[in-house]
Amino acid sequence: MRQAGKYSGFMMSGGISGRTGPHSLPLARIKKIMKKSGEDVKMISGEAPIVFSKACELFIEELTRRSWATTMQGKRRTLHKDDVASAVVATDIFDFLVSLVSETASHSEDVTEPEEMEKLGSS
Amino acid sequence: MAEAPASPGGGSHDSGEHSPRSNVREQDRYLPIANISRIMKKALPANGKIAKDAKETVQECVSEFISFITSEASDKCQREKRKTINGDDLLWAMATLGFEDYIDPLKVYLAKYREGDTKGSGKGGESSSKKEVQPSPNAQISLQGSFSQGGYSNSQTQQMMVPMQGSE
Repeated sequence: MRQAGKYSGFMMSGGISGRTGPHSLPLARIKKIMKKSGEDVKMISGEAPIVFSKACELFIEELTRRSWATTMQGKRRTLHKDDVASAVVATDIFDFLVSLVSETASHSEDVTEPEEMEKLGSS
Repeated sequence: MAEAPASPGGGSHDSGEHSPRSNVREQDRYLPIANISRIMKKALPANGKIAKDAKETVQECVSEFISFITSEASDKCQREKRKTINGDDLLWAMATLGFEDYIDPLKVYLAKYREGDTKGSGKGGESSSKKEVQPSPNAQISLQGSFSQGGYSNSQTQQMMVPMQGSE
């Protein structure tokens, strides 16, 4: 059963985009991802995706800040996948992501982005 | 076993084992990359740039985060023989799994949302405690209780449009 119409309907009242309303992430999509979490996830209260819209924002910000710290350590200005992987490995609460980032980050170990080094040198 | 629901990251890379996947599936598994990107940029200094692969990785991580929290909350609901995962279950799961720093901002967010964020939420001196955490957790529970009674239908939406229960 599609729930998107319902959400976008009531979000329309206060939203800028009309799709996500005051929230920075689309609630219907959050709900879909929640439902994929397990077979016993069937009923989700209306507030749950709203909680997640903010929680994901906090999560993304934290992960990005920690990743950026790694980028800075490498004297680079572009955040790469490896930086995210390093941040995940270095942070206890991100332990659940370790297998995800290690399986995807393996091929890009030696990317030091020569053009970035140039930029740093010239600035 | 059709697929492993708790591992969205596995989907886009090992195409050997599963049946063919389409972009439609991708859209169901992840939040839009534009939204992710916007939030990431907020957390960086103005001169910071983000590579596409980093955005995609964070995108996968967010879905994993949602699944991780939801699974924990779902387990709790099963233990307590409830069928509907509510906001408090998620807050509890986040606290349990190490994200207790998120709880206060989330409570503030929810409280604002219930008051109706757009309608001048902070006018009275009497409500000076508003910027702090919600006074009693019972208010939340009763609110959500009424959600679950309404089942999974339009009544949820209507109650959320009229956020007076939380503010009284």
